[in-house]
Amino acid sequence: MSEFFGPLDSDNGVPAHQQTRVAAFLISAHGALARQFAFALPMKLESAWQTELNAQFYRESEIVSLLLRATTWVPDLTVGYMAASWETAWFPRPVDGIADQSLALAVDLATRAHAVHAGIRPAALLPAEVYAHDPFAMALRRVEFESSRLLQAQIMLLKGPNLVPFRDAVVSALARRHAEVRKLWTEALEGVGITAPRRSDDKP
Amino acid sequence: MLGGDAVLDLTQWILRHVSEGMKIKNLLPGRPMPFLTHGSYRIRYELDGPERGPTYVLVNGLTQYAELWDAYRNALIARHFRVATFDLLGQGASDKPELFISQDDQVAALSLLIGELGDGPVFLGGISFGGLIALRYAIVHGKRLAGLVPMSCFAELPPQLLLIGNALRTGMILGGTSYLQDLLLPMNVSDQWLKPVLDKLDSVKRQGWLVNDVFALQNLMESFLDFQPLTPQLSSIGVPTMILNGEFDFLTPRALHETLRLGIPSSSLVIIPNAYHAFTLEKPALTADLLARFAEDVLAGRWRGNKAVWIAPEDPGGELVPFPAGYDHLRAIPVQRTTS
Repeated sequence: MSEFFGPLDSDNGVPAHQQTRVAAFLISAHGALARQFAFALPMKLESAWQTELNAQFYRESEIVSLLLRATTWVPDLTVGYMAASWETAWFPRPVDGIADQSLALAVDLATRAHAVHAGIRPAALLPAEVYAHDPFAMALRRVEFESSRLLQAQIMLLKGPNLVPFRDAVVSALARRHAEVRKLWTEALEGVGITAPRRSDDKP
Repeated sequence: MLGGDAVLDLTQWILRHVSEGMKIKNLLPGRPMPFLTHGSYRIRYELDGPERGPTYVLVNGLTQYAELWDAYRNALIARHFRVATFDLLGQGASDKPELFISQDDQVAALSLLIGELGDGPVFLGGISFGGLIALRYAIVHGKRLAGLVPMSCFAELPPQLLLIGNALRTGMILGGTSYLQDLLLPMNVSDQWLKPVLDKLDSVKRQGWLVNDVFALQNLMESFLDFQPLTPQLSSIGVPTMILNGEFDFLTPRALHETLRLGIPSSSLVIIPNAYHAFTLEKPALTADLLARFAEDVLAGRWRGNKAVWIAPEDPGGELVPFPAGYDHLRAIPVQRTTS
């Protein structure tokens, strides 16, 4: 087990079975976010903040499109049942402690997006010697870079003045979401010989 | 010349770890990684050296991690000190709170670590953000300390530092950790350090990029959003204090250290020649020697703060010389000091 992709193939590319597993997870996570941003996006924008919803929707879609095309896919039977647990985890769950259901659902979406954008660093799996111009490696760098920018919208919402009365509920919901996403990510990686650092609040 | 060896050591250290493809938790193979618990968070620390010796506790700067003090660990243990290092919340192998990190929590984490050290004398040093956390600790728990060493430090956020800090934060938000590193590198170290590594900067930056997460760095930076100047409380720091400031530090320039010198009663300001903001990285042998000499002087009763201003030697073991009498140490040109 290593904390990086590998052993690399003869062209210093990421092995196809590792590409498949990692891309499948990322497509599931970002695809779910894209769908939920699409549902939340009105045909006619009525508030300035909704411009960010539009951006989030298209960038999540771009990530999915990019990974579909940049990945060298091979059959991975395990992905079938793993994907079921991934997709279940992305279901909306209103955050406890916020009575307004639409706000509770918005916070839930933001915590999930924060966990995916902040907690998943696919480019950090690339070893230093990976071929720099490999499309999959480049795609992972782009996913990680875009994630850190998309994250800003979640940070602004979750730290923002509207949620100050619900700060404890938000902080604990976010910690739970991070732990949940990290667990799924860790399991996905471990199946292809990659070990991700665990945290103290991760359940074994 | 001091800089040459230190530069080579640090560069080789970074490149060696990068080429081995090691992440932080594997940097010290075979050594257990102890943690302290603060609420729901874990703080990773390391404690080495003789159990009965006086202890140096060293606090990281914003984008640093505990391994960057390795040269100090070795040098100070050789001088019979125990050395404690740790990753602040949001750094390295310590937990990274998802949304908020308060500076009070960082002080609490530091208190926990110092609580592990028994009753022996404790000297506390910190660089930049870590220096600020050390100052906060000294204000609240100064009686536990035998000495304090704030390095490249500040007690206030005057407009230049505030705007630089804001720009660094915006840069990181727009360009990620790598861009933040690009902005910090030329502020932190000299041309002499940078020149031989210009063609391998990606390798130099890689470990810091791997270890640091954007959201965690952002939380650390945003712990300044409600920052209140510490200046009014500096006079409560009663312990001997050696303030270290790089000659060419333009991120936290001399005037910020002057606030500390004037505010802390038993202090001296020591200017490190030809040094920038991160002189702890660029000149570890000299800085470790200064730390050891300061603590030895304090323990032997030789330390006299007197708010004096000194110039450090170029090399470890060299003589500290007083800043020339009558000249203004806040100026970059030799201007006679005016009395006010």
